[in-house]
Amino acid sequence: MSTTDCDVVIVGSGPGGSTAAEVLCGAGWSVVLLEKGRNHLVSTTPPHEPLRHFANDEIAAHRRHLLGPDPLLEPRTYRRSVEDGDHLLVGEVNNLPSTVGGGGVHADAKLPRFREEDFRLRSERGPVEGADVRDWPLTYDELEPHYAVVEQLFGVAGETGTNPFAAPRSSPYPLPPGDDMPMALVTSAAAERAGLHPYRAPTGINSVPADGRPACTDCGFCGGYGCPVQAKNDPIAALQRALRTGNCDLRAESYVTGIVLDGTGRRATGVRYLDLRGHPEPPSREVRARVAVVLAAGAFETPRLLIAEGLGGDLVGRYLTYHHQTFTVGIFPSDRYPQGTGGERGRSVTHLHDDLVVDSPELRGAAAAAGLPWVRGGVVEHGAGHLPVEEAITYGRGDHHLSSMVDSALRRRMWAFTMQGEDLPQASNRVDLDPRIRDVWGRPAGRVTYAPHRHELVASAHAAPLHEAVMLDAGAEVAFSATSPPRGDVELHAAANPLGAAPASRHVMGTTRMGSDPSTSVVSPSQRLWDVENVLVCDSSVFVTSAGYNPTLTLAALAHRAAVELCGADPTAGDAAAGAQSDRSDSRASASAVAERNRS
Amino acid sequence: MTVRTRAWRSAVAAALEDAVPGSVDLGALVYVERLLDALEHDPPHIWAAPGVWSGGFGDPGADAPQWLELGPWERQAWSQRVGEWRLAYDRVAAGLPEADDLRLVHEHACEATYGDPAYGGNAGGGGWVRIGFPEPLHPPARGDAT
Repeated sequence: MSTTDCDVVIVGSGPGGSTAAEVLCGAGWSVVLLEKGRNHLVSTTPPHEPLRHFANDEIAAHRRHLLGPDPLLEPRTYRRSVEDGDHLLVGEVNNLPSTVGGGGVHADAKLPRFREEDFRLRSERGPVEGADVRDWPLTYDELEPHYAVVEQLFGVAGETGTNPFAAPRSSPYPLPPGDDMPMALVTSAAAERAGLHPYRAPTGINSVPADGRPACTDCGFCGGYGCPVQAKNDPIAALQRALRTGNCDLRAESYVTGIVLDGTGRRATGVRYLDLRGHPEPPSREVRARVAVVLAAGAFETPRLLIAEGLGGDLVGRYLTYHHQTFTVGIFPSDRYPQGTGGERGRSVTHLHDDLVVDSPELRGAAAAAGLPWVRGGVVEHGAGHLPVEEAITYGRGDHHLSSMVDSALRRRMWAFTMQGEDLPQASNRVDLDPRIRDVWGRPAGRVTYAPHRHELVASAHAAPLHEAVMLDAGAEVAFSATSPPRGDVELHAAANPLGAAPASRHVMGTTRMGSDPSTSVVSPSQRLWDVENVLVCDSSVFVTSAGYNPTLTLAALAHRAAVELCGADPTAGDAAAGAQSDRSDSRASASAVAERNRS
Repeated sequence: MTVRTRAWRSAVAAALEDAVPGSVDLGALVYVERLLDALEHDPPHIWAAPGVWSGGFGDPGADAPQWLELGPWERQAWSQRVGEWRLAYDRVAAGLPEADDLRLVHEHACEATYGDPAYGGNAGGGGWVRIGFPEPLHPPARGDAT
């Protein structure tokens, strides 16, 4: 009789956990995949069809916590520094979805790669006082094959060769770019006149039918929503492929509370979890794993678990990074754009520019003026405005309501640049356990302590007037900028700012840093805990620096790499990847059609 | 089903109308009452299932919205939340609202005016019509289903 339940138990079913599951199951390994949240995504019984719980419904998705977590059950806390006391806020803090598919479900799936420099920031740019900038223990070239495979697995739609700052690629994007949002073409043209280099965003949303999933319908309910037609790879396709091997046991409503170690304390034998289908006393269960435990619960929940278990050392939770977001909002005149900026339709963001990530005389000048050795911004997203409920709440109550909604400066006439600015790692920025707040199951809530480094503020101050000028040149009648986290009176922002006082970014990184030196990192270059070597971390918490790019593709590439190393699978052409490519062969004709439409 | 007095309904309607003019004509009071009674149904009327108008899950022949199941812990959270909101609306109806109560009324008035009609507000999509918001696209799955 077997004494184990599986080869590997994975904690978290988001892009990292799902990618690892697909690799391991494809190699014939048995996997138990535990997810704390509900399953709204994919049936656990063959043939593993979509559950189709998602709709174009702003109330369910944005107002009623359909994707979880519910802050009444799982509060998180935030403070800027220890000066704020135990916490400043209690409730929602960087809540990525807690549901099968994790953060992939709500994302609008922009999937850029990092650049070579992002893995060698210390060597390329040098140290910054007050921050702990380090090189990653791997290079872009080492990760590139895994980028290439996960782009195939995720079905990334993109355009090779149009971003002059992109890192070298071994293969083109598997799918052509989808339809452009019309206003993105307007702001891209203005950006080009300003000497910037916009390009079509690599996006994990089907531009053509592929993988048995339909093409995007450009419904407009994208960022923040589960996809009702599964055009978004959220990561339903990875989960379906893992489940269809027969080797994956997906268990939702399974809240991992502990890592079980053997007698040496140096090897994990499994995990304990609460079976949340039970109420009010959820039974505690154990999954025993023959080979390894993979943590893929995200850069907030993974360190929370490790700290509660006393594993990973003193650096667990530290070097938390987000992207310091700078929003430049343009309000466009209705007489020139009578149909509005078109944000109600499309994929939220179809164009990006990277100019503020790369070194330039202007950025060097901004750094020198601020007394910094260097400054980097981040990728800039050209995107659309609010949906109507959110917009209505922003305007406040009273007689002005209808005229504000009809005028619709913050939706119908709005277009925005969002810079996902690089956030330098600081030891004082961290996730730990709140001493006073607990979740409904009695476990200490996770707490964020975070304040931006001066670098982020300088980069933001440099970007804002540049992008305001581009907006005005594009035809906006007014342009202004704001940041998250906000600057200024925290009470004002806590009560009135729609983005709140805490960082609104869902790009949460760091907290179990990867490195070659156990004294300065939590996991090894193979993403294994230094103190319990068969516990691997496969989410964005291993990031050494935040770069200025959306993290999902990189965390998935890292998960792919770690899983391949673990099971010895072919790193570049696994069965799953080959299958995904084969499924796409029929889409080439329609791909050409979309490409032609975009060119015209 | 909870029975509310005419005075309660009149006072709450006035507060909703004060927060978002025109909201009551679009069903805001219905929206609020359905929300406060949501846990009296099984499944609770918290998350409308994608149905006739938004694709896939629901019965296209159904003449009323269908609803997603809540897990036991979600049901607990929503019971707590709705219980607190009932007290807040009672204070509003009594003419003794707190600042947070008025903020809640405003948020619900916005949801009722511009959200999915399945929840009882935005009657006939009229909230979208008056601001020029296009009705959400029907994805292909729904077209197939119908």
